[in-house]
Amino acid sequence: MNSMTPKLVVEGLTHYYPDEYTGESVHALEDINLELYEGELVSVVGPSGCGKSTLLNILAGLLPYKIGTASVDGNVIHGPGPDRGVVFQEHAILPWRTVAKNIGHGLEIRKVPQAEREKRVQEFIDLVGLTGFEEKFPHELSGGMKQRCQVARTLCADPVVMLMDEPFAAVDAQTRITLQEELNRIAMATHKTILFITHSVEEAAFLADRCLVFSARPGRLKEIVEIGIPREQRNWTAMNDNAIFIAARDRILASVREEVSIAVEE
Amino acid sequence: MDRLWWHFQQLLKIDAMNLVILVVVVLIGWTIISETIPNPARYLPSPLAVSLSSVDMLVKGLLPSYYSDTLVRLIIGSSIGLAAGIPFGLLLGLNKTVADMFHPMMNFFQSVSGIAIFPIVVIWWGNSDTTVLAVILYTSFFPIAFNVLSGVREIPIRYVNAARTMGASKYQIMKDVLFPGAMPHIATGSRLSIGFAWRAVIAGEMLAGRQGLGWMIFTGQDADRTAEVILGMVMIGLTWIILDHYLLRPIEADTIERWGLVQR
Repeated sequence: MNSMTPKLVVEGLTHYYPDEYTGESVHALEDINLELYEGELVSVVGPSGCGKSTLLNILAGLLPYKIGTASVDGNVIHGPGPDRGVVFQEHAILPWRTVAKNIGHGLEIRKVPQAEREKRVQEFIDLVGLTGFEEKFPHELSGGMKQRCQVARTLCADPVVMLMDEPFAAVDAQTRITLQEELNRIAMATHKTILFITHSVEEAAFLADRCLVFSARPGRLKEIVEIGIPREQRNWTAMNDNAIFIAARDRILASVREEVSIAVEE
Repeated sequence: MDRLWWHFQQLLKIDAMNLVILVVVVLIGWTIISETIPNPARYLPSPLAVSLSSVDMLVKGLLPSYYSDTLVRLIIGSSIGLAAGIPFGLLLGLNKTVADMFHPMMNFFQSVSGIAIFPIVVIWWGNSDTTVLAVILYTSFFPIAFNVLSGVREIPIRYVNAARTMGASKYQIMKDVLFPGAMPHIATGSRLSIGFAWRAVIAGEMLAGRQGLGWMIFTGQDADRTAEVILGMVMIGLTWIILDHYLLRPIEADTIERWGLVQR
């Protein structure tokens, strides 16, 4: 679909980790290969325990890996770095920083001068719709606003790839729908390369250009579903009777359910 | 400064009436007891007698001198204790293995009270100011260091990970995540530390015979000047209340309460 060099490349990634309680080696990922091109939003779905969060932690540099390679812009991942930004599931913005200070944190860490920092921070506050909440502390925000703040914080640091780990799983259903549409708009506006981990098939189909379905543990790349709907057309009202969306969603759902039943039988 | 003034006004508004009533009730009760027992001058001098004795000591300049000696010891001792204990706790907390290793040891030392180490310190430095200061330092260092270490261990790892993924260095993680994240424990620890230091000053002056409020109480008992003993006790209590209300509480209100880390 794209002739450019990919932004994120994973080749032959296999991962084992020791179980926290039993110490037994858990086979989390098996021979994962994937490429993310500029401006693409790729979602990863799979049954619980399929290693999708392990994959994200490895890409974030929070989890060391031994087998295979992962690289961003040609640089092999050895640890955390500002070329990758992570949006965590919940409660990852710092309670002791205001919204503005949280969003500017990445730039502050990189010692970007204050004037430039403030300008960029305001830009992203406006982008995610937190205008007027600059000086609020996280405990004064709703769950949805906290996640907007996290997305703004990640984008403001201008990473090459944004990694999102089930970012909307902990908010209520109404907010989730809004946030999904917002993310679609933000993806359009920023043209950011995004890897989006989720357990929600609907969400994956709604947001992704490509959806990667993982098998039950050990996680293997089971199927890739392309969802060729232009971003401008993506909103929940339109998707309800969009044939491409429905077909993609049903295909992903069938694929995931197969894996869930395997996981349950084990 | 504005915050301080604001807290002062709050105190006046909400607590002033209650405080006045409480103080009056205590003073009346105290006076009645003092009037009914035999030989009150020895066993329980009335509030009036205590006030007169304090006026006398003020005029002679003894009270200001004792008071400032004690306060200076407290300030120097607990400042050094806190200034050393907070970074020490943070540094230990930086590495999980080191933190787990030191935790029981810190727990051990913070539980051995200042009074209990007094004899050994006297053996080392005799009845000197060094001895008193060493005990204050000891009593204030361990509670804060132990609490900071505990606080750092309780900070959710996702905060640290969030900073790491933004490329934060160890120092930046300490400054931006661990220090503010441990703030509830730093507040508790500081309170404990300064409280222990305050007790250590008084006890230290008594045991090592250095001039100050503690010494004043001790010699007052020896010389049968009970009014002085009570005066010293009242001064100790009042100082703590003022310290708590005008230093510790405002700091807590501006940090952990503002950030929603504790509810009040």
